[in-house]
Amino acid sequence: MKAVIEGSHAVSEAVRMARVQVMSAYPITPQTHIVEALSEYVSEGRMDAKFICVESEHSAMAAVIGAASGGVRTFTASSSHGLALMHELLHWSAAARLPIVMAEVNRALGPGWNIWMDQTDSLAQRDTGWIQLYCEDGQEVFDTTLQAYRLAEMVNLPVMVVLDAFFLSHTYEPVDLPDQETVDRFLPEFVPKIHLDAADPCAMSQMAPPGVYMEMRHNIQQGMEQVPRAFAELEDSFETVFNRRYGMLEPVRCEDADVILVVTGTAASTCRQVVADLRAAGEKVGMVKLKMFRPFPLQAVRDVLGGARKVAVLDRNFSFGASGIFAQEIRAALCNQPGHPPVFGYIAGLGGRDITPATLEKIYRMTREAGAPEQESVWIFNDQ
Amino acid sequence: MTTEEKPFPVHISRSNISTEKNRTGTWRFVRPGYHEKTAPCSRACPAGEDIARIEMLAGRGMYPAAWETIMRENPFPAICGRVCFHPCEGVCNRAEMDTPVAIHHLERFIGDTALREGYPVPHPFYGDEAELARRSAINKRIAIAGAGPAGLSAAYFLTRLGFACEVFEADTEPGGVLRWGIPWYRLPEDVLKIEISRIIDMGVRIHCKQPVTREFLKEARKEFDAVFMGCGHGRSVSLRIPGEEYAADGLLFLHTARDSRPPRAQGTAAVIGGGNTAIDVSRTLVRLGAEPMILYRRRREDMPAFDHEIEMALEEGIALKELAAPVRIEAADGGYDITVQRMKFAGMETETGRGRMVPDGDRTEVIHVDQVFSAIGGEPGENWYTPPQESDRVLHLNHCAFTEADLPTVYGGDLTNPVKSAADAIASGKEAAVVLDTFFREGRGAILERVNACRIGSGPSLSMEIYLGGERRKRDVHIVGYDEINTDYFFPAERSAPSVLPMTKRVEGFSEVEGDLPPDAATAEAQRCFNCGICNECDNCRLYCPEVAIYMDGTRCINLDYCKGCGICVEECPRSAMSLEEEKI
Repeated sequence: MKAVIEGSHAVSEAVRMARVQVMSAYPITPQTHIVEALSEYVSEGRMDAKFICVESEHSAMAAVIGAASGGVRTFTASSSHGLALMHELLHWSAAARLPIVMAEVNRALGPGWNIWMDQTDSLAQRDTGWIQLYCEDGQEVFDTTLQAYRLAEMVNLPVMVVLDAFFLSHTYEPVDLPDQETVDRFLPEFVPKIHLDAADPCAMSQMAPPGVYMEMRHNIQQGMEQVPRAFAELEDSFETVFNRRYGMLEPVRCEDADVILVVTGTAASTCRQVVADLRAAGEKVGMVKLKMFRPFPLQAVRDVLGGARKVAVLDRNFSFGASGIFAQEIRAALCNQPGHPPVFGYIAGLGGRDITPATLEKIYRMTREAGAPEQESVWIFNDQ
Repeated sequence: MTTEEKPFPVHISRSNISTEKNRTGTWRFVRPGYHEKTAPCSRACPAGEDIARIEMLAGRGMYPAAWETIMRENPFPAICGRVCFHPCEGVCNRAEMDTPVAIHHLERFIGDTALREGYPVPHPFYGDEAELARRSAINKRIAIAGAGPAGLSAAYFLTRLGFACEVFEADTEPGGVLRWGIPWYRLPEDVLKIEISRIIDMGVRIHCKQPVTREFLKEARKEFDAVFMGCGHGRSVSLRIPGEEYAADGLLFLHTARDSRPPRAQGTAAVIGGGNTAIDVSRTLVRLGAEPMILYRRRREDMPAFDHEIEMALEEGIALKELAAPVRIEAADGGYDITVQRMKFAGMETETGRGRMVPDGDRTEVIHVDQVFSAIGGEPGENWYTPPQESDRVLHLNHCAFTEADLPTVYGGDLTNPVKSAADAIASGKEAAVVLDTFFREGRGAILERVNACRIGSGPSLSMEIYLGGERRKRDVHIVGYDEINTDYFFPAERSAPSVLPMTKRVEGFSEVEGDLPPDAATAEAQRCFNCGICNECDNCRLYCPEVAIYMDGTRCINLDYCKGCGICVEECPRSAMSLEEEKI
């Protein structure tokens, strides 16, 4: 059944249908609508779950770590400063190998105080061991949240479902909401690999001395390496049930493209239009929408970008003293490929500024005209 | 090959060595303990009821247990639930959050439930018949003068302690001020009768129309081992102004109003006085069809009548003339002219805390009414009903006085109580029972120590349960304050109120004005109680202990091998039933 709902509520609906058992969260704009709806589901009895109210995001993550250690399906959501406050426990939850799912609404960090779209909050958590999946529209938010549980539970790593502040979280769009029975066919009941058991008491996450710590870290990476195959597999099953799939990344008209634009989140929607318009005008342009950021889909990126003449990466984020973070990752993915294309980095749309078709067209033309990148990042302040 | 077919290993650090290996108790420098304290309401209750516990039980719907808890300290729950001035509510910690718990209405609800269901009076020694037999073997007989609330309470408690009691009452029926002084609209007759009949059923003989005379006392010495004097106010204080003979006696009027055939009244009436009797006379007059006006020489805030009663009276259309001191009454035009001296406020009296009034120059006025009633207070029927003043052999206690003179005698009730109320009269009967029991078992020298040991929170009220060595004796005398309540566990909730008879129905007869709380409202109201200082087994301490050092072994126990003294249990106790104390090194 199609329903016109907010992006935030696409998350809430998916969490409800995923039969999550324990949730804990602390409100923060622009995430709050997600957990508001969930707390209502619980109080109205529409969801058989516990909602644990806490005094901070740090405690929210601690609470779901506790619940997940008990072997139940869990959820939390956060944004910006809230996510930053969780940082310590993001490391903990991943290394404890707990399949927690979180919705992360991309929002700028202050000061200056800013509640609008910016990816730096989630990207700053890239080394915590969390899988990160970025979404383009309400339907993808709903689908990805369901997929996230399947993926997290397959590889025992936590998954962050990332959506743009306001452009996605607060925008009403038609979303196809399946019935519970259909969702159950895709997402079976949770059978935890790790859980506390009163019949076999143990302490978890103990001291790990030098003799074992490194093996444990390597094991996390092995889990990450399982992801591309696991994701493909769950998408097969997702497609069987729902007749949709996304891929870790999605190439659009890249086959003969001279310039390929790499975009994420809602900017991908705008970019689809720009590519269509430019193609109609005879320009050889393509785009790649990057959905999965962690693990970084190295091989897929090499396969799709390796043959292009030029790659232009749009970053709605910035790593101070370096460059846009997606551009860094793509350069790193390509640098050992002989004859790889030059990677042009552009910074645009920080702190909620619009990325218009003109912005993307400007980036395309600048890339087409340039011989080689003169700097790591070019800051696009306006679309003129 | 799919991931389901071949699960890869997931390495996490885990240990099956029990954390019991780590004796965290060695870290401790403060020690938590279950340490029950005193609720402010129970200290304020003249009858010393264990209110925090009563409401805990009532909140769980355990009405028989709640009622028994009252009955250990007060034989008249249904009566006090109607006529008590409930000082308990004035000190209720809940007032700091929203409004005090409706302790008074709850007492009535529990009392009425017991009347309806016929709950049996709880055994004084929790079923230990041997203890009762052992105590009865002392074989002492007590004569009780006056079947008012003090005398009947003395009979109740003394009988429970194994004494044989006989009550001698001057009037035609027992009850004293409850029977003759409190109108029906506040205390229906059947409620009074049933609560008194319980005491009769315990084997107490009540002899009516048997006034206490000197001859009677002389005779009593032969038959009885001690006397309790609870004679109360036998007559009204006279006005001592010219024309006082025109003023009808307020107490007498109430007495006749409670006869089976109440008097008729009409026209205007002046009621002189500011106490509960003046209010009751006025409210009775309204119901009989008269238009009363209260004349009081001080201000409303100085009136000794209970505030709630004054408010009800004003609601019922009774006029209140403050700062009006009658100086003369004259017969005029078939009625009376009362000359009133206008008074003015002249500072506070240090002793009584009331305002001091002086005549406002020569301002006077004349008020014409059809009837005049005097209700300025009572005095003993005989002077020797009060304890001998001069004697230093009299042991003066909070609610009674004891003398060994010829026959061991306890003076109690309104004639010794600083506050004249039914609850204080009950306190007096209870104190008398403690005094006489101690006197006969251990001698006069032990009385003060015993009385002091059963004070609630070091206050003037006594607990019979403490006297008999019940669980309540373990409570600390410390009074729990609002700042000791963990208010995170309580939410504002509206106070339940009973139905009140509409005004038109009220003034046309003597039907009871206030109704009972409905059962749901009573349970909800009891649950508003913080249960200050007592454990209601919420289990927070056990659930929050990070070392799982609290366990159940019949009751909650703390395993000191693992208790690290973090104090979380004490902090999370919503009602201050636990405390931390420093470890002695």
